[in-house]
Amino acid sequence: MSQSAIDKFSSKVDLSMKEFFLNMQEFFLFSIRAFITIPKIKRYWRDFLDQAKIAGTDSLPIVLVSSISIGALLAVEVGNLLEDFGAKTMLGRSTALSIIRELGPLLMGLMLSARYGSRNGAELGAMKISEQIDALRAFGTDPIAKLVMPRLTAALVVFVPLTAIADFSGLYSAALIAEHYHKIDPGIFWNAVFPRLELKDFVVGFLKAPVFAIIITLVSCFNGFIAQGGTAGVGRSTIKGIVVSSGLLLIANFYVSKLVLENM
Amino acid sequence: MIELQEVTLRYGNREILNRVSLTIEDNKIKAVVGPSGVGKSTILKLILGLIKPNSGKILIDGVDITPLKESQLYPIRRKMGIVFQGNALFDSMSISENMGFFLRENLKLSEKQIERKVQEQIAFAGLEGYEDALPEKLSGGMKKRVAIGRALIFNPVMILFDEPTAGLDPPSSEKILELIDSLKAKNNLGAVIVTHIIGDVFKVADSVAVLYEGEIIFDDDPNKLHDSEHDFIQSIVSKKILEQ
Repeated sequence: MSQSAIDKFSSKVDLSMKEFFLNMQEFFLFSIRAFITIPKIKRYWRDFLDQAKIAGTDSLPIVLVSSISIGALLAVEVGNLLEDFGAKTMLGRSTALSIIRELGPLLMGLMLSARYGSRNGAELGAMKISEQIDALRAFGTDPIAKLVMPRLTAALVVFVPLTAIADFSGLYSAALIAEHYHKIDPGIFWNAVFPRLELKDFVVGFLKAPVFAIIITLVSCFNGFIAQGGTAGVGRSTIKGIVVSSGLLLIANFYVSKLVLENM
Repeated sequence: MIELQEVTLRYGNREILNRVSLTIEDNKIKAVVGPSGVGKSTILKLILGLIKPNSGKILIDGVDITPLKESQLYPIRRKMGIVFQGNALFDSMSISENMGFFLRENLKLSEKQIERKVQEQIAFAGLEGYEDALPEKLSGGMKKRVAIGRALIFNPVMILFDEPTAGLDPPSSEKILELIDSLKAKNNLGAVIVTHIIGDVFKVADSVAVLYEGEIIFDDDPNKLHDSEHDFIQSIVSKKILEQ
C-alpha cells in the first residue's frame, strides 16, 4: 500500500471517529434536554396522549402476536426437552422465568423498536428535511419539548403495562400448549408458575420496560433530528435508529438482568 | 437593523462563508443573490441564530446573538418572521391551525384573540374559505401565502424570505412579489430575500448583495449591477447563470 493511500485511509478514519464522537456528544446533550423538559408535560399533554395511543393501544396487536407465538413456541420446545428428563411438570416454572425475565420484555422492546421507533425516526426525519423543526425553533418553540419529550414520557408510561400484557399473553399461550399439546394439567402448570416466582423475577422484567422506552425513543428521535439528504436521508436515519436501538436493547437486556440478579 | 460582521462559517473543511459583512436596515428590502449551494439560505439561518458561525458577529438591533443560548434567542427571533423555501407548514394541521400554532405555543392569548389574529392573516393572504383545508390541498402559491401569513403572526419588524418565488408559476410569483412589496409599503416592514431569480431583485429590492464563492462581491443598489465589471455579476445581469 502506498504512503498516500495510507494517509488517505487514516484521514478517513480520523474523520469518522471525529464524527462519531461529535454525534455521541450531540446525543448526550439531546437526551439531557429531553429529560429536562419533562416538567413541561402539562403544556404538551395532548401530544403526550397522542403518543401514548401510538405507543400503547396501537402497538398492542404486534405485542400480542409476538408474545403469544413466542410463548407457544417456548412451551413446545422446552416441554419436549423436559419430557426427556421426565420433568414435564417443571414447564410452568421454566417458561414463566424465560418469559417474565427475558423474552416478554425483550420481544416487546424489539417490536416497539421496529414499530414506534421507525415511526418516530421517519416522522421527525421528514419534519427535519422539510424544515418544520427549523420553523419551530425560528418561531420560538423548543422542538425537543414539543416533539421528543411527549414521545419519551408516553413510552415510559405505556411500556410497563405493555410488558405486563406481553408476559401474561405469552404465559397464557404457553399454558394452552402445555394443556393441549403436552397434556399437562393447567393446575400443575400454574402451580409451577406463581408460587415459585420471586420479586427479583418481576423486577428484572419490569425494570427493562423503562430502560427500553428511553433507548428506543431517544435513539429514534435523535436520528430523525439529524436526518439530512432528502427522502433517502430519512430512510437512512430511520434504519439507523432501528438498528442502533435494537442493538442497544440487546446489550441493555443483558446488563439489567445481570445487575438485578446479582444484587437481589 | 441586522448586521453581519466578518462572519465565517465552515462545515468540516468546506468554507461556506468567508468574512461576510452585511447590513440590513429596517423598512428596506435587501436581496441576497448567488448561485445554488453558495450559502444564501445559511445567511438566513445565521440571522435567526439557528446555526452559529465559526467567527464574526451577528447583531440584531445592536445585540450580538452569537453567544446567546437558545432560550435567550426566542425573544429576538420574534422580531423576525421567516418564510422557508419549502414553506415548512405543518402538514397535519389546517391552514388556520398552522397560522395560530405559534400564538398558542408562545403567547398567553385567549382563544378569541387568537382566532381574530388568525382571521386577519388569512384575509391578508387572501385565503378566506380555506381556513379548514390541509396544506396538501393548496397550490404552491397559496401555501407560500400561508407561510407569509404565519411569518407575520408576531408582528415582526423584518421578514426573511428563502427563495420566495422558486417553483411558482409566473402569476403566483407575481402575487407573492406584490405581497412582499405591500408588506413594506403598508406594514412598514423590512425584508431579506434570498433568491436565485434575478428578475425578483429588480422588482422589489432596495439593495442587493451578491454572494459568490463565500464572499460578498457586490452590495449596492440593484441598478448598479449593470455597472459592475465582475464576470459573475455580468453573467447575472445578462441572466445567463442564475435563471438556468
